[in-house]
Amino acid sequence: MNLLSKFAPLAELRAALTGRGRVPSIATPMDAVHSATEATIDGRRVLLAGTNNYLGMTFDADCRAAAIKAVEALGTGTTGSRMASGNYAGHRALEREFADAFGWPSCIVFSTGYQANLGAISALAGQGDYLLVDADGHASIHDACKLSSATTIRFRHNDPENLARRLERLGEDAKRTLVVVESLYSVLGDRAPLQEFVAVSERFGAMLIVDEAHSFGMFGPKGLGICAELGLLDRVDFVLGTFSKSLGGVGGFCVSRHADFELLRMASRPYLFTASPPPPVIAATHAALKRLLSGDDLRARLWGHIHRFYAAVNQQGYRVGSTDPGPVTALVFDEREAAIALWQGLLDAGIYTNLMVPPSTPAGLNIVRISLSAAHSEADISRMIEALGKLAGQLKPAA
Amino acid sequence: MPETIDQVERVVREALKVACPDIGIVDGSTHLASELGLDSAQVMDMIMEIEDHLDISIPVATIAEARTLDQLCDSVRRVVAGPA
Repeated sequence: MNLLSKFAPLAELRAALTGRGRVPSIATPMDAVHSATEATIDGRRVLLAGTNNYLGMTFDADCRAAAIKAVEALGTGTTGSRMASGNYAGHRALEREFADAFGWPSCIVFSTGYQANLGAISALAGQGDYLLVDADGHASIHDACKLSSATTIRFRHNDPENLARRLERLGEDAKRTLVVVESLYSVLGDRAPLQEFVAVSERFGAMLIVDEAHSFGMFGPKGLGICAELGLLDRVDFVLGTFSKSLGGVGGFCVSRHADFELLRMASRPYLFTASPPPPVIAATHAALKRLLSGDDLRARLWGHIHRFYAAVNQQGYRVGSTDPGPVTALVFDEREAAIALWQGLLDAGIYTNLMVPPSTPAGLNIVRISLSAAHSEADISRMIEALGKLAGQLKPAA
Repeated sequence: MPETIDQVERVVREALKVACPDIGIVDGSTHLASELGLDSAQVMDMIMEIEDHLDISIPVATIAEARTLDQLCDSVRRVVAGPA
C-alpha cells in the first residue's frame, strides 16, 4: 500500500477505454493537425468532430498572423504574474475589449478557463459566505468551491425551485450567496433556465455568476452568449468565459457589471500567483474577439450546420442528450460497450469524436459527443450524417 | 424538521436504495465507495435525496469525510441539529 495504490481502480477503466483497438478512445494521440477540422490519427487523415473549435478560430489567418507578430515583438512568454512583470498593454487592451463588448465596467483575464472559474468564484465567496452550485457544473466550478472558504451547497441540475428552497433555508445569509450555473452544459449540451435562475437569485438577494464557456461566441447578439441573447445582462452579476473554445486559444475571462470586481486582482490567488498569458495567446485572442464581434457570418454558418445535423440524428433514432439544438450533440447510451462501438465505428469511417463515460458524465450515461464547427463544410456534415446512419442500426441506444 | 435519529437513518437508507436499487442488507460500517461501489456522482445524488426528504441543505464539506453509512448518518444528524 502506498500513495499510488488508490489509483488501482482506474486501471480497469483505462484498459476498457484504451485496450480495445489500435487507437485509444481517451487521450487519443493526434499525430498531426492540418486545419480546424482535419488531423492525422494512427496514420490516417480524419475529420475532427470532437473539438471545441466551434468557430474554427485556431487556423484563422488574422489570428495566426497576430500571434506570430506578437512573438516577434514581445517574445514567447511573460514569466510573471499580472501583479508583477506580466501586465502588458495587450492584456489590458483585451480586458477593455471584453468589458466594452458587454457594456460593463470590469473584466479580468485569467491564464486558463479553469483558472477563471477558480479565480473568480473562490475569491468572490469567502469565509462566512455561501456558494450554491448546480450539481452538474464543470469540474473547475467544483474545484473553485473547494478552494473557497465559503460553505458550498449543491442544488439539483437546472432546477430553479430546488435552488429557491436552499436559498430560503439560508434566510438572511442568502444575501451573502453566490449562485453558480453554466448557460450551456458541455457534456449533454443542455441549456440552463437562466431567466428562472435570475429571478430566484434576485428574489433572495443572491448574486449570480454564469459560466458561458460553451455558449460565448455562438449565441446572442455579437456572440456574447446566452445571457445577452435573453436580455439578462442588466440582471446577471458576472459572466465567465474561456478563450479555448470559440476563440481558439487558451485563457479565460470574467466580466462584471460591478466596478468593484476590479479589486479581485488583489485577492484572487489563481490570478495573483501564476504567470500571465503569453503575448501570442493574447494577440491571437484579441484578433479572434474582433472577428467574432465584427459579424454574424461564422455563427450563421455554424447554426446552419447545427440545425441540419440535429434533425438528422434525431431522425436516425439516436437518443440525443438535449432537446436544445446546439454546437454539442451528445448521443447517449446505457451501455459503455455501445458507446465505445459507435466511437470506434465513427473513427473507422474517418471521423474523430469524443467518448465520455462515468464517472465523468451526468447520470451515469455513456456518451459519444459530437461537436460542430463553422469551419466544417456542408460535405463534412453530410459525411458525419451518412456515417451515423450506417451505424445506427447496429447500436442499442439508452432506454 | 426530523426529530429522531431513527428518522435520519431511515431517510439515509431510503436514499441509498434510490442510488443503488439492487443493494442488499447494508451494515452501518459498510464503506460506501469501496464496498458498495458508489462513485462521487451517486453519492451526490444520494445526498440530494436526503436533502429533499428532510428539507435541509447539506454542505459539501460536511459529507466529504463520511466514508461509511454510519458516518454519513452522523453528518446528516449534525446538519439536522443545526449550529452548535
